[in-house]
Order: sequence, then C-alpha cells, then structure tokens
Amino acid sequence: MLGLTIAGAVLLVGALCALALPNNRARAAAALSTQGLALVITLGSVFPVLAGGPALAESWALSYPLDVVSGEVDALSSFFIAWSLPMTLLGTLYAVGYLQRSFEEGRNGGPHFALLNIIALSFLIIYGSRHAIIFLLGWELAAVSAWLLVIWDYKNQKVRFSAFNYLVSTHVGLLVLVAAFMYLHGQTGSMDFAAFGRTLGVSSGGRSFVFLLLGASFALKSAFFPVHSWLPRAHSAAPAHVSALMSGVIHKAGLFAFLRFTLLIGEPEEWMGWLVLLFGALSALFGVVYAASQRDLKRLLGYSSTENVGIAAMGFGVAYLGLCWDQPALVALGITGGLLHILNHALFKCLLFYAAGAVYRSTHTVDLERLGGLLRRMPRTGWLFLVGALAIAGIPPMNGFMSELLVYAGLLGQTAPGSVENAALVSAAALLGFVGSVSALAMVRAFGVAFLGSPRDSAVTDHGDPPATMLLPMGLHAAGVVLLGLAPSVGVAFIRPVVVLFHSGAAGMAAVDDVLSPLQWACRGLVVGIVVLGLVGWRLGRGARRHVTWGCGYTAANPRMQYTGSSFSQPFVEIFESLSPQRWRVKLSGKIFPPASGHLEVHVADAVEGRIFEVLGRGEQLFVRAAAAIPEQPRYAFGAGLVVLVVLVGLLVAGGVP
Amino acid sequence: MGLALLPWLMVGLINRTKARWAGRLGPPLLQSVYDVLRLCRKRPVYSETTTAIFRLTPYVGLAATLAAALVVPIIGFRPLWSFSFDFIWLAYLWGLGRAALMLGALDTGSSFEGMGASREATFATLVEPALLLVMGALGATTGTTSLMGAVSQGAHSIEALVAWGASLFALLVVVQAEGARMPVDDPTTHLELTMIHEVMVLDHSGPELAAIQTTAALKLTLGVSLIAALLNPWTGSGPAATGLVVHLLLMVMIAVVIGTIESLWARFQLPVLHRYLFMAVVGGAVALLATTWQGGGL
Repeated sequence: MLGLTIAGAVLLVGALCALALPNNRARAAAALSTQGLALVITLGSVFPVLAGGPALAESWALSYPLDVVSGEVDALSSFFIAWSLPMTLLGTLYAVGYLQRSFEEGRNGGPHFALLNIIALSFLIIYGSRHAIIFLLGWELAAVSAWLLVIWDYKNQKVRFSAFNYLVSTHVGLLVLVAAFMYLHGQTGSMDFAAFGRTLGVSSGGRSFVFLLLGASFALKSAFFPVHSWLPRAHSAAPAHVSALMSGVIHKAGLFAFLRFTLLIGEPEEWMGWLVLLFGALSALFGVVYAASQRDLKRLLGYSSTENVGIAAMGFGVAYLGLCWDQPALVALGITGGLLHILNHALFKCLLFYAAGAVYRSTHTVDLERLGGLLRRMPRTGWLFLVGALAIAGIPPMNGFMSELLVYAGLLGQTAPGSVENAALVSAAALLGFVGSVSALAMVRAFGVAFLGSPRDSAVTDHGDPPATMLLPMGLHAAGVVLLGLAPSVGVAFIRPVVVLFHSGAAGMAAVDDVLSPLQWACRGLVVGIVVLGLVGWRLGRGARRHVTWGCGYTAANPRMQYTGSSFSQPFVEIFESLSPQRWRVKLSGKIFPPASGHLEVHVADAVEGRIFEVLGRGEQLFVRAAAAIPEQPRYAFGAGLVVLVVLVGLLVAGGVP
Repeated sequence: MGLALLPWLMVGLINRTKARWAGRLGPPLLQSVYDVLRLCRKRPVYSETTTAIFRLTPYVGLAATLAAALVVPIIGFRPLWSFSFDFIWLAYLWGLGRAALMLGALDTGSSFEGMGASREATFATLVEPALLLVMGALGATTGTTSLMGAVSQGAHSIEALVAWGASLFALLVVVQAEGARMPVDDPTTHLELTMIHEVMVLDHSGPELAAIQTTAALKLTLGVSLIAALLNPWTGSGPAATGLVVHLLLMVMIAVVIGTIESLWARFQLPVLHRYLFMAVVGGAVALLATTWQGGGL
C-alpha cells in the first residue's frame, strides 16, 4: 500500500504544479510526468496482486469520526487500477494536442491538467479504500472533477446545461449511495466494508433493500437504463478526451462498486441475478436502438456506452445466477465476460472518442449529416476509427467479439437448473444477438457516412490528420484492441485472480479456456485468410481504370444525393418507432419538380428521459395542487414550525444522538 | 472436385428451376463458374470516390464466408471443425461479411448503394436473433452447444417434432434473407423497388465482382447445407456414405424448393417485409417454447 500512497502523493504534487507553473507547456509536462511516475509505481505495486499474490492491505488509525480507515487492494481493485491509470495518462497526452488551439488563444490549461491528475488520484481512492466515508470522498472527487473537466467550453450555454445535468444526476446517485451506507452503518455500527459484509452476507429484507439502493446508485453512475440520458448529453458537450475518459474509465467505477458489494453479499438470491440480467438487457437494447439514429457522432458513442455497459451487466447477471445455482463455470464465464467486456469497452470507446475528437478538431463538426469522405483526407484517423467501429460491433477478429462470446457462452451453456430458466437465458442471448446486429448497423452507419463517400456539405473544410500527440493514444488503443482480439487470453490472465475471489477457481476458468481457445485460433486463421486473399485481390486489381461512380445512366450526380445518416437508419427506426419515437419537421411541396426549396428535419428524442420527466412533472403538479389546497394562515405558521422542530429534536434525542 | 463446384451447382440449380417454371430451358448448370472465370480475366474499373476499402472488402467477405464454411456440415456427416458455440462464430462471421459488403457499398458515394446497405442492415437485425433462438432451442433438446450437435438431433417426441419443424421454417427464412432470395430480395434486379443485395455490388467489376459472386454462392450453400443437415436423419450418426448421399440429395431438393418459391412468389413490399422476417424469430421462439415444454417447464 505504501506504493499506492506515494503514487497518490505524486499525483497531488503534479496537480499543484500544474496549477502553479507559468505556461501551458510546463503544466502539461508536470501533469504527464507525474501521471507517468505514479503509473509506474502503481503498476509495480499492483502487478504482484494480479499475478496471484496476496492483497495489499493497510489500516490507518485516525481520530473521530473516521476511527480506523482500512484500505485493501485485492485482485478486483488491481484489475481496475491496472488499466484506469494508463488510459488517464493517454487521455492527458491527447489533451495536449486537442486543446492546442485554445492554448494558443491564451487559455490557462492548468486547472484542466490538475483535474486530470485528481481524477487519477480519485481512482486510487475509490479502488483502494474499504472505508465508506473515504470511498464516498473518492466517488465525489471523481464526479466533481469530471464535471469541471466537462465544462472546458464554459462560455457555451448548452455545454453548461449538459454539465449541470450530469452533476445533478451524479449527485442523485450519491444521495442514494449515502442512504444505503447510512442504513448499513445503522445495522453494523461501523463504516468498514468488512463490517457491512456482516449485514450483506445474511439474506434478509434489509439486504434486499440495500441491494436495490446500491443497484440504483451504481446504475445511475454507469448510465444504465432508465437513467442513462445524462450520458449522451454530457458526452456531446465535453472535449473528446474527457468524454473518452468518462465513458471508458470513470463510469466503470459504478460496475467496480457493484462487484465489490457482490463479493460482500457472497451468495445472492436468484431474483437479484434476474434483475441485473434484465436491466443489463434493457440498457443494451435501448442504448443500441438510440445509437442507431443519432446524428451527433459523440451522442451516438454515448448511447453505445449504455449498450456496452448493459452487455457487461448481462455477464454479471449470469455470474449472479451462477453464484445462486452453485455453478462455478457459469460464475467464471459471467465474471470473465463482464470484466473483459469492460476492459475491451474502455479500449475501443476511448479510441472512438479520440477519433471523433480528431474529426471535430479538423472539421469543427461532428454532425454526420455534414461529413463525408474523410478517409481520404484523414487516413490514419479513419482507419483507426474503423478498427474501433468493428470492435464495438463485436465483429471478429476484434476484441468485442471475444467478450461477447463469453457472455453468450454463459447464457447458452444450458447450465440452468430448469428448462424455464434455460429458456429465459436463451431469450436473453437472442436479444444480445439483436443488439449485436443493431450495433453493427450503427457503427457501419457512423463510419460509412462520416468517412466514406464524398463530403455531404461543401461548407465543411478539413485540416487533415491530427498531430502525433493525438495519434499516439489512438494507435495504442487500437493496438490493444487488436491484441485482445487475437489473444484474449492475455486479458483473461488478469481476470483469473478476480474469478478466484468469487470462489470459482480452476474448474470455472477451465470452462472459460475451453470456450476461448478454439475461437482464438479461428480468429487468427481468419486474419491470415483475410491478409492472403487481400494481397491476392490487390494484385489482381492492378492496372485498373478510374471512372466516376456508376449512376445508372444519370450523369449529373452530386454529393448531396448520397445516403445520409438519417436515411440509412430510417427503415430501422420506422420499424422500431415505439422504442425511439421520431419528430419530423417537414415542409415539402410534394411535386416531383418542386417550385420552391423544401425542408425536412428529423429528430430522435430520448423517449425514456421524456417519460421520466413527464411522470415527475405530473407528480409535481399533484404536489403543487395539494399544497395550494392548504389554507395559508401566517399567524399559526410560526407556532406550527416550532411544534415540528420540538418533535424532531425529541425524536433525535430519543434515538440516541449525543 | 465436385465439392469445390457445389456452391455454383446450387446457384445453377436454382436458376435452372426458375427457368423451367418460366417455360425456358435455362442456362447450363455451371454457368456461374464460367461467369466468375470471365470476370477474373477482366480489368476492373474503380470509382474515383472509392478508397482501399472498396478494393479490400470483397476479399474480406470471401475470407469470412470461407471461415464460416469450416464449421457448417457441408458434406453431411461432419463439418471440418466443430467446437462449442461455433454457431455464434458462424453468425458473427456472416455479420463480418455483411459489414464488409455495406462498407464497400457506402464507399462509392452512390445513393443507390447506400439504399441497399441501409435495407441490408435493417433486415439483418431481425434475422440474427432467429438464428440464435433456433440454435439455443435445438441445443437444449440435445444438450449440446455446437452446431453439429444441434442439427444432429432426431425427433423423439411431439414437442421435439414441433421444435424441429419450427426451426426448419425459421432457418428457411434466414437462408432466404442471407442468400438474397425471394420473397425477401430479388436477385435479378437492382431497381429501387425490388433490390437489397444486388444494388450493393453495382459498382464492383472484374475480380472484386467475382469474389462477391463466389461469396454469395458459398453463403447460400452454407445455409442450404444447414437445413439439409437438420432434415437428414443420418446426420452425425449412422453410415457415413448414406448420410453423405442423402445430404446431397436433400441439398438438391432444397435448391429446387427455393427456386420454386422464387418463381411463384413475388417479393414482399418493403414496409411489410420485416413482418415476414419477424416470423423467423417467431419460429425460433416456438421452437424454444416446445423445447421448454419438453424439458418439463411451463
């Protein structure tokens, strides 16, 4: 633990330096160097735990009200720390290039870089602490730092609103989490997670209540259905690297905490597993259906985050059921699938956001309807985006396929005790198949409309590929995507000690290896086949002539006639209108040769958020009407307030507060 | 030798059947082979709008379909390679092939090809859950998790028979969707009202078009082979020679059936086509329900 404490101190020093130093170059250097140093120290401390060694544990005796603060870094924490810190470093490196224009205009990057260091520090606190108050401190630190990072462009009112929406949502989650911790403190008298385990380990009504509270809080943090709508909004407002870090790294803290409390629960009840599976499936479904119809590239990626977090949760639901049915293979498949998907998602989501940021930096728009043909002018960004897009659609041989495969293996393995449960799992697998194919639609649309074809809006000019500080993080993430696609056992090796924590052990991991090993070879064979056939085809195509695209005899084609993003998704959105309602603003004359220019605008609003606010609004109306019905008597108001105060104080005194 | 020509024989059989229904003699059975060889000799023409994606995606699709052919029991009694959850590998390889085709289509910057890609993407979303439901249901009947295990089950009871029949129907619709057959798609035209797949290859020429036609023939053969393996009572058990002969005969029969359906039915209108594809999902769900009933639930 000493290593982690030193790393934390280094990060703090780096943050202070970033605030204090005179010019942006020095501030960036301070942030990058301290993050790098902290990374090295942390990995050195954490790798032995991941290699199967004992957990790092330490306790500090402080005075009231914290008493003894204990920290423990076991395999689960180590897994999350091991990739969170490197990705934060890469994000900081990306920020140097991305924000360069703002720096040239004279903006002070000190707070921004300091906040990136603080985020890395908050990871150490969240993943390492075992004391509820310190955990909440880290949680809140991450949330507020993320908020401050999002409002880099604070002069824009839309950005301020989106960030405020995020802030309120995350604090609602915090309130629920505090409520859960307060209940547990009331039951156990201590703030330590190990003590919480005494209540959580015993099946009771209180445990179910706390499980629901914790689940709600972590669902809000990680943007599950139905509380996901703040995520796409925040992502389209934030700078690209902040969106990448939020989506890929920060919001996984919710899933980490979920697993941490699962370990404390020990053997969950069956309804908990089904609930997790259900909400995972719904998040995946709604996330992907909305992703297929967005025109803002970053909003699309935000909805796709909800989808992927849903897939990981489906894996965790499978693991819950395995814990309940005493099936170590199922537990291993579920946990490995979920955790591997979290890691894969961090890799390809950051890559995609970095590429989207490069597009924005080059063209000053991320509106799919105005982009096109970027692959020719930004080839490196384009090809890297393609790698990420294929990975997120779960297409072999990239890494998304491997983790989704493990979740499939858990769902279709026929390990359920009854045929009805088996049918439910098979239905979930079919839903996952649907989600996979819609995700392929969304990603082919995003890549195809933005990068292929010709530019759809001639007013959009681009400035080519981004500088090396932005390309390097993208390249490294892409390398990780390809590596984990061709050799997922590398990722699984880091997850093995985590599965051991769930008492699954060797039998369970053997099931995972049985599923993965033939497919690893199949994927490698596929890549070899693609390379060979590609080379053959390239040779056959030499000496080709160039001409314009065949227009079926129509000779006056122009780029405005291409299929746009909304046209591509129109058939799909029409079929699934009930899930994602559209709003059309139309002014068309209806004649074949229209006398004047027409206008068509299609918007897809988030129906889930709309419904939630509709219900809240109706509740508020009820409340206002009820409050208006109470007659106003100012003379008695003071007396009534005094009576209420006396009663409250009396209750508190009776309850034993000193 | 015959095995290598099997995909083109399938396409040739379907075209012959359609021709006979139309009162014509029809092209030679191996016409597609002559077409592919002719295309390979030609010099391709690339559009100025396209990039390397256009040149590479036909071969990516071909590689994906060849990889998928490894796990499908083409020759009746055994696929070349069978492992757990290979049907997921199959489904996602089809997804790779589809994504490659769509990217090649979008690369040309043509509104026509974008239209085809959009329709293809939409209808594929309905087909994939059907395949997984069928495999899940059949796997639950036999207690296996591989493609070979799923199709080599016999019908031992009423529920198993219902599951088997529903799976057959679902697989037939899946093959019609994936193989671009009526009533999902018309493989002979690329006009706006009638096309999905044909228009995505409008700009391809020469060796790329040959690769795409090979891929299409191979995909159709894989689908037909799956159905034949499910129909064949000797799949996975019994004498190998009998299984092989019966499998080939069944494939011929299914090709003739597909050709007949193409000759007698028109393509469904686009606004209602998704309902037909959804029937495949319903078929898979019926198979799953029958399996659950048999397993003692409900």
